[in-house]
Amino acid sequence: MATLLSEKQIAQLKRRVKETPHPREMVLDVLHAIQDANGWVSDEGVELAAIVLGLSSLQVEEIATFYDKIYRRPVGRKVIHVCDSICCWSRGSEAIMLRLQQLLAIAPGETTADGMFTLLPTCCLGACGEAPALRIGRTLYGGVEPEQLEAILDKERAEVES
Amino acid sequence: MRSCEPLLFKNRRAEGPVFLEGYRKNGGYQGLEKALRGMSPADVREEVKASGLRGRGGAGFPTGVKWSFFPSDDAGEKYLVCNGDEMEPGTFKDRQLLLADPHHLLEGIIISCYALGIGTAYIFLRDAYRECAGNLERAIDEAAQAGLLGDDILGSGFSCEIHVHRSAGRYICGEETALLNSLEGLRPNPRSKPPFPAIKGLFGRPTALNNIETLANIPHIVTGGAAWYKSLALTEQGAGTKLYGLAGHLETPCCVEAPIGMPLGELIRDFGGGVWKNRSFKACLPGGASTPYLTAEHLDVALDYEPLEQVGTRLGTGGVVVFDDRTCMVAATLNLLRFFARESCGWCTPCRDGLPLVCWLLERLERGEGTREDLTMLQEQLSHINGRSFCALALGAMGPVDGLLRHFAEEVEDHIRMGRCPLQD
Amino acid sequence: MPTLTIDNQTITVPEGTNVLEAARQLGIEVPHFCHHEALGSVGACRLCAVEFLEGPVKGIQMSCMVLAKDDMVIDTGSDGVLAYRAQVIEWLMTNHPHDCPVCDEGGECQLQDMTVAGGHGVRRYTGPKRTYQNQDLGPFIAHEMNRCIQCYRCVRTYQEYCGGKDFGVMGTRQRLYFGRFSDGPLESPFSGNLVDVCPTGVLTDKTYRYKSRIWDLQEAPSICPHCSLGCAVIPGARYQELQRRRARTNRRTNGHFICDRGRFGYGYVNHPDRPRAPLLGHRRVTWQEALAALQNHLHEFCELYGSGSISMLSSSRASLETQFLTKRWANALGSGQLCFEAHPRRDQAARVAASQAPDCSASMEDIRSCDMAVLVGADPLAEAPMLALALRQAARRGARIVVVDPRPVELPIDCERHAAAPEELPRILQGLTRPQQNAFASASEEFGGALGRALLEAKNPVLIGGSDLLGPQGCQMLLKAAEACSPTGSTCRSMLLLAGPNSFGGAMLSDDGPGFDALLEGMEQGRIKSLVCIEADPVADYPDRKRCRAALARLDLLVVFDCAATATVQEADLFFPTTALEEAAGTLVNNEGRMQAFEKVFSAGTPLLQSAAGDHPPRFFSRDIPGSHPQPAWTTLARLLGRDAELEKVRRELEKIDPRFDGLAGLTADSEGCRVVAPRQAPALVAAPASGVTASDQLHLLVTEHLYGSELLSDLSPCLQAVKSDPYVWLHPQDVARLKLVEGKPVRLCTSLGEWTLELRINGDISPGVAVVPRLRGTVVETLVPGSEPMLCRIEKA
Ligand SMILES: Cc1cc2nc3c(=O)[nH]c(=O)nc-3n(C[C@H](O)[C@H](O)[C@H](O)COP(=O)(O)O)c2cc1C
Ligand code: SF4
Ligand code: SF4
Ligand code: SF4
Ligand code: FES
Ligand code: FES
Repeated sequence: MATLLSEKQIAQLKRRVKETPHPREMVLDVLHAIQDANGWVSDEGVELAAIVLGLSSLQVEEIATFYDKIYRRPVGRKVIHVCDSICCWSRGSEAIMLRLQQLLAIAPGETTADGMFTLLPTCCLGACGEAPALRIGRTLYGGVEPEQLEAILDKERAEVES
Repeated sequence: MRSCEPLLFKNRRAEGPVFLEGYRKNGGYQGLEKALRGMSPADVREEVKASGLRGRGGAGFPTGVKWSFFPSDDAGEKYLVCNGDEMEPGTFKDRQLLLADPHHLLEGIIISCYALGIGTAYIFLRDAYRECAGNLERAIDEAAQAGLLGDDILGSGFSCEIHVHRSAGRYICGEETALLNSLEGLRPNPRSKPPFPAIKGLFGRPTALNNIETLANIPHIVTGGAAWYKSLALTEQGAGTKLYGLAGHLETPCCVEAPIGMPLGELIRDFGGGVWKNRSFKACLPGGASTPYLTAEHLDVALDYEPLEQVGTRLGTGGVVVFDDRTCMVAATLNLLRFFARESCGWCTPCRDGLPLVCWLLERLERGEGTREDLTMLQEQLSHINGRSFCALALGAMGPVDGLLRHFAEEVEDHIRMGRCPLQD
Repeated sequence: MPTLTIDNQTITVPEGTNVLEAARQLGIEVPHFCHHEALGSVGACRLCAVEFLEGPVKGIQMSCMVLAKDDMVIDTGSDGVLAYRAQVIEWLMTNHPHDCPVCDEGGECQLQDMTVAGGHGVRRYTGPKRTYQNQDLGPFIAHEMNRCIQCYRCVRTYQEYCGGKDFGVMGTRQRLYFGRFSDGPLESPFSGNLVDVCPTGVLTDKTYRYKSRIWDLQEAPSICPHCSLGCAVIPGARYQELQRRRARTNRRTNGHFICDRGRFGYGYVNHPDRPRAPLLGHRRVTWQEALAALQNHLHEFCELYGSGSISMLSSSRASLETQFLTKRWANALGSGQLCFEAHPRRDQAARVAASQAPDCSASMEDIRSCDMAVLVGADPLAEAPMLALALRQAARRGARIVVVDPRPVELPIDCERHAAAPEELPRILQGLTRPQQNAFASASEEFGGALGRALLEAKNPVLIGGSDLLGPQGCQMLLKAAEACSPTGSTCRSMLLLAGPNSFGGAMLSDDGPGFDALLEGMEQGRIKSLVCIEADPVADYPDRKRCRAALARLDLLVVFDCAATATVQEADLFFPTTALEEAAGTLVNNEGRMQAFEKVFSAGTPLLQSAAGDHPPRFFSRDIPGSHPQPAWTTLARLLGRDAELEKVRRELEKIDPRFDGLAGLTADSEGCRVVAPRQAPALVAAPASGVTASDQLHLLVTEHLYGSELLSDLSPCLQAVKSDPYVWLHPQDVARLKLVEGKPVRLCTSLGEWTLELRINGDISPGVAVVPRLRGTVVETLVPGSEPMLCRIEKA
């Protein structure tokens, strides 16, 4: 469990929890820290968060399972979020999603065999002016054409590998 | 083309964000100075009330009136929460503002805190807006360095701190009481009102809650005065400018600042570059995913709160999403409803179980499997969900269904009659 | 006080009443799922819609979310409302598996009722249904998530009301999951309430699984016999088997809920070892034979040795009627050798409790609404579990809760804890009796004084004491302290936790009669030749088992009436089987002096499951119903007294002889009960010997009640065996270090009563210098009884 975060990080979070008058307020911060370090929040991650926050695992799980951007299942090195909301839909997001499925040979919700990408539909990314939009890791891609996807994936893959 | 001197977007540059230096160069923080040096908190509240500013988060409640319910003069902890969840499809204005000019929001927050006697503000930011969070954090540091934030701001004796809270997805977190639960680390189900947040909000304390864009207007009202601000609108009853999102089937989707009361058709033509691919206009969402559709007969309507209500819809967030003549409105509505069903918090039955049933009915209709009974059932859903849910999410969700059944009944009937989508060949 | 009209009837209700509750006061039940009287309104299910025709609110609105206001005119059954409610049911049923035939909730299912009432007969939705994996929630609760209608009642009960942290709601939208983080037994001692609050078959009683439909059950209003609080319950029986217990509503006592000991402690009634026939020695005899033998013997003793040679012992398990007729019988025989509790200190403490003015005693309702509670030497979860829940409700409303105890008292709330040494308790109580005093003799007294001042400043304070730790003297001081700490214009109410469900009744009837010590002395001296135990188990309950056994061995005749195979039953010369509480009617007086009647649920008989090995019908023929010999003790006593065995008459007679029981004859079992009207006189107490720790390796031994395993009857319930702990001793880390012991390793506990090897547990909340050992029946330490004179012990490496 301790390997999910460094001793120093855990101590730091515990200190912050102790300092705030409302420790529960920190629950997303702690989950984010665990997810940022591990890509996702495992059962052990929930248990660690519970210890740090002085809550029960169930109490943390109640929060963790509410938010769709806290991953309670393993994801690839990079998560591809394809916007499926109205503006992107109106400008071809379905074709984008289909092309990605072909290129990665996975269905939405799945992770590529090499553990590189997880493909997830998402709601509006706030990039409606650049529809269709998708986000890979922290990078937002707007006005995407299905033909550009292969190059985008290559670039993202190269980034991880370098 | 009607021109408009931008207020909120006045520092928006293609090169990237403007920080403290650029912001101040262009008149930034003059509103704060004016407020702290020359106005009492009550003066500021009065000015905001007189300005006619209405909330830009979707509900359009007059900001000054909302502030008048706030116990500004009571001692004890009080909070200001800035709603930056912005997850309603078609809405991307707050992000544009933060990408361009983070100090704009900070100044608005600090003045508002001064006006309401608040010492702590939270900016609740959706998870996807990491870049915006970065801009804000840098701006907060700069402002603190410059004595514009923190203890004894500009030597006025007024102190205030701002925290940025990063959320983790879920549209419901934008609903004000769900947002408070989320901030407190509780499950973000909405709370029942009353008590309203102004009386019992964050951690049980009085809390003022406003949208990013709403707060960014405050410095201009303080500097320019209420009368000037009000005069910016094109309509009699309207006030100020608005950040409009222009998306969907347009030549040049974008986010622009234009006066309140701009006619719909003009906005689409002048800023959106008209309907794409030389097709014709079929319908639009005037103010985000939860607002009932407008059709070609409404192109002259003024984009302001009252005129839109008169035609059975709302200004909402000002996110205009346009559909061309090849769009199947049943399919568009299904897309919207899938969003809402997926984002239901699961608290109340009409939303949690009603919206998926609506999706199922729309799917059947869209596939051409729908029957007349399904249509009746859809109509029943509309009347039974509207006004019966715990919070406004489900009400908003039924906006598009309402629009569909009011304006595109024939198109729905065609799906049933033809046993397929009439727009597909 | 708004006045409004609902379905053409006008009613005035208190400010703050919502429309759903107002309608209920008129007898109009608005269909609902998420509202619950104890949990309040949350507006989640959206079923409780009514139509507002006139007044400040218009149109169809949720009745649970709208407060009643003047001039409202409401129609709870308009066409619009009915159509809407039918729609809500359709929504809730879209994913429901509709598996009523195999669902234990069937017949008592709110969803079933609403579906039928709403006329939802055809499922228009034909799409796929959502399904879930169930969890194993332990021995008490079965989980069938597919049936869930997401009313959130379970979470609100478990987390908010009961303070549990391991059951909740996960996920969002149409994929919510009500359960635990992972499989495993529910941790809350109030988990069984999930069964009662869940309106569907998701959370059902696992011990009752696939047994009966509610309409096949024999049910009647009853009282829980497993502690002195007297919570209202509804036991259900079928095929001569008590199959379950559920909570009944009594707003003055338990409210709507009960504890798991109460809910799952019912199994003693069906225990296969339960003696069901009269025995003479070890020989089965008929009732006639047994009664004749009894009468002959007693007659003989009277002739030979005088009536003083006959003694009688009843207990806090016996009903008031049984206790009363025991007393009448002793009187008739001319013997004054009678008492109602085998444990002398508990006896004295109960007499102290019964000497309190009835209007100063705290009910559970008083505790739920108090703004400050101080607990001295009381461990609610162990001694009176539902008290813990009552305190939690007070704390949720902002009450200050202070626990003063040498033991690591656990409560389902955050509270102030003061780990006082046992010898400090009297000094703290001393301080509490003088809150106004300026200077105190010791820091403990000063602490007590400060607490007293806080109580004086509260609006509705309560002072709670455990009779085992405080002893009779301490109890008396606590009552005095409550008097001294009463704010002007209000009373500091007090509550003492007693040994059993009718300790109070026995104490009222005891007058200044002897304690069991005196009876034992009589036996030891040969003056007393016979003892009749009526639902009493002195061997197990007298703190010095060796002494008790030796004294009983000297008797010429030991007669025992009981419904369980107790240690004393094993020694009996003559045995009479009695009915269990659920098999007869009667009255119990709880620890606040509330008389509560209970009805007969079913007739005694060996469960079919045992007599016919599960076969139905049984394969043998007999005139008697197998195992149906047990009789209520009071009917036998009535026969011995030559009277009619009529409960009404007994009650009326008691009421007439002793006006303190005024109201008894008119009591019905489904009422809230009523308090005895006047106290008994305070007992004369002898000062307890002071006991200082002399050698440095000595510790105070505190034997204390435990949630499971201490109380006689519930310990006989098979389903509670799973949660019973192995024997252990609790020490403070300081003592562990000082004595060079190791946690988890067995240690040797050495006392004047004997030596045992047990597991060592460490607890930092315990007072240093104290060893805490739970009373666990049927284990090596079963002879250790709580509430004894202070005792010293040593603990060594085993
Ligand atoms: C489901 C739902 C989502 C909402 N999301 C947002 C949002 O993302 N941002 C926002 O400012 N207001 C949102 N609102 C509106 C807020 O509840 C609230 O009215 C607003 O933040 C108040 O600020 P204003 O008066 O400045 O508009 C949402 C409301 C609902 C019902
Ligand atoms: S309408 Fe009900 S279920 Fe939907 S988001 Fe609001 S409270 Fe949650
Ligand atoms: S498990 Fe039962 S009580 Fe809990 S939400 Fe489901 S139906 Fe309601
Ligand atoms: S608290 Fe006592 S009386 Fe109440 S249910 Fe539990 S054991 Fe029975
Ligand atoms: S709809 Fe795709 S980014 Fe807004
Ligand atoms: S009882 Fe009113 S909404 Fe559930």
